[in-house]
Amino acid sequence: MVPATETVLVVDDEQGILEALADLLREEGYRVLTASHGREALERLAEVKPDLVLTDWMMPVLDGPALIERLQQDPALRGIPVLGMSAVDVSGLRRQHPGMEFLQKPFDIRALMKLVRRALDATPSVQGG
Amino acid sequence: MSPSEQHPPVFERIATGVPGLDPILGGGLMASGVYIVVGEPGAGKTLFANQLCYSQARQGTRCLYVTLLAESHSRMLSNLRGMAFFDASQLPQRIYYVSGFRMLEEQGLPGLLELLRREMRNHGAGILVLDGLVQAQEAAGSSRDFKKFIHELQVSAGLSRFTALLLTSSVGPTVHPEYTMVDGILELRERTAAMRSWRELQVRKFRGSASLGGSHHFRISEAGVEVFPRLESMVSRAQPPDWGAQRVRFGVPTLDAMIPEGIAAASTTLVMGPPGCGKTLLGASHLAEGLRLGEPGLMVSFYEGPERLLHKAASVGLSLGGAVKDGRLVLQWNMPAECNLDMVVHAMMEDVRKRGVKRLFVDGLSAMVETTHEPARISPFFAALTQELRRHGVTTVFTLETPRLFGPDMDVPLGTGLSGVAENLLFMRHLELNGRLRRLLSIFKLRDADYDPTLREFLITSQGIEVQPPFQPSPELLLTGIARFPGNHS
Repeated sequence: MVPATETVLVVDDEQGILEALADLLREEGYRVLTASHGREALERLAEVKPDLVLTDWMMPVLDGPALIERLQQDPALRGIPVLGMSAVDVSGLRRQHPGMEFLQKPFDIRALMKLVRRALDATPSVQGG
Repeated sequence: MSPSEQHPPVFERIATGVPGLDPILGGGLMASGVYIVVGEPGAGKTLFANQLCYSQARQGTRCLYVTLLAESHSRMLSNLRGMAFFDASQLPQRIYYVSGFRMLEEQGLPGLLELLRREMRNHGAGILVLDGLVQAQEAAGSSRDFKKFIHELQVSAGLSRFTALLLTSSVGPTVHPEYTMVDGILELRERTAAMRSWRELQVRKFRGSASLGGSHHFRISEAGVEVFPRLESMVSRAQPPDWGAQRVRFGVPTLDAMIPEGIAAASTTLVMGPPGCGKTLLGASHLAEGLRLGEPGLMVSFYEGPERLLHKAASVGLSLGGAVKDGRLVLQWNMPAECNLDMVVHAMMEDVRKRGVKRLFVDGLSAMVETTHEPARISPFFAALTQELRRHGVTTVFTLETPRLFGPDMDVPLGTGLSGVAENLLFMRHLELNGRLRRLLSIFKLRDADYDPTLREFLITSQGIEVQPPFQPSPELLLTGIARFPGNHS
């Protein structure tokens, strides 16, 4: 069980995947926020500062790269760790964003949970929302 | 330039990247058009739309693929990864997948429309695929709202110059009245008869140019969707070239002697007879004679595999193996149980065009005919096929098996349709005489040539094929297949 205070913001335009991920993370004890695209994610971020952002890459309105750019531009959000996920071949994305971790969809749940845990453990808590 | 001198606008075409489809559409989809692709789940709509996107992306066009409650993008891409057209390097720069479902749920059709417009603009996309139009239709408050949505999408496509494909499952009637306002409707369907199934594509509507009517077979393989335009709809109505006085011989001197001038070049000969009477060897001889004269040959067969055919021909001194090795002769072998008339003929005509085939031998016309479920189609199909072969100057021999080994009846198993199409008719049969089985051959009809109509014994030896002088017993008795010498009528 993880501390209930750890919050993950999941961003994905595919509703089914978004809901499934949110359920799985909640079952693991995380507090979960959801958004169906980058702009909605920024609205959530204005209210709550999560400990981790798990974001899809191809999304309408504001996509994954644009969301990350906004996070980096905002000093208050810059420190939040971000995990990317995509249905496209993530090896290309890893090359373009060397500092980031990516999950290739479809992924194994255990791999996801491991990566989420590792990202959270590597970063000091950013609670404050 | 005065208005009257202005040329009518020429609409740019979008190549679909689907082999065989663009000729059906008169050259491709119209740029800035809105098209509906309708079909049951599993009909191949998603594959078709993706194939178009990857083909366009390779030419530099950006594509936006919007799903509405379809399979997940990762599942879709997993399915596409095995396809020859799939190219991961196009993702996500040139082909971009997003879901519009949430927007549709929360903001209805206006929200979806806004999303489509904005994303097309943001990505600078020239192709839009909306996969799951049926969801939008169900979300529409009324038929009018749905029509308005399509109309507004059409306006956007015209202004922003993108071409849209709207994929929808057929619920109720295949073509809803609401669909009629789009620029074109393509229907994909799967049909089943007995244990077999096949796929068909039909252009239900196509604005801006003529399209080839009727249903066209298509298949789904690792190459993606491949359409085989119905031959009857493709064949030019123009008169085929006149091959003049050019003549062709079978390469059997004693048989050729029965037709002093030879048969007309680019004509079609139907050789009918029961199994084992020598039809295949006569066809092999036709090819061998062509090869001797430097004419590329093609053999299409259904029952005997290539190795066995080569061996059979070699056993009578017809050496074809060398020509197969160096590409002067091609053997196309088809499994009769699984082949499809349009696909067989497509492969055949492609080789005819590519290699300039001058002699064709189709061994087992009945197998070819049995591949279709529409008997009424056979005569027009073969009329179109023979015309197409004539146009390419191909002299063709078809064999057709008759079911009866002996007896007074002369069966033409496929009715008069095929024998009517063939310009030359040769008939072969078995005869039991004095305890010995003999093969007989007679010429029934020849176009533009005199011939010897006498009944001849047809010998197959290790030296080759030979036709004997006219058979002595009474021909009218011989035609029964049960010969008796004159005077012996008991």
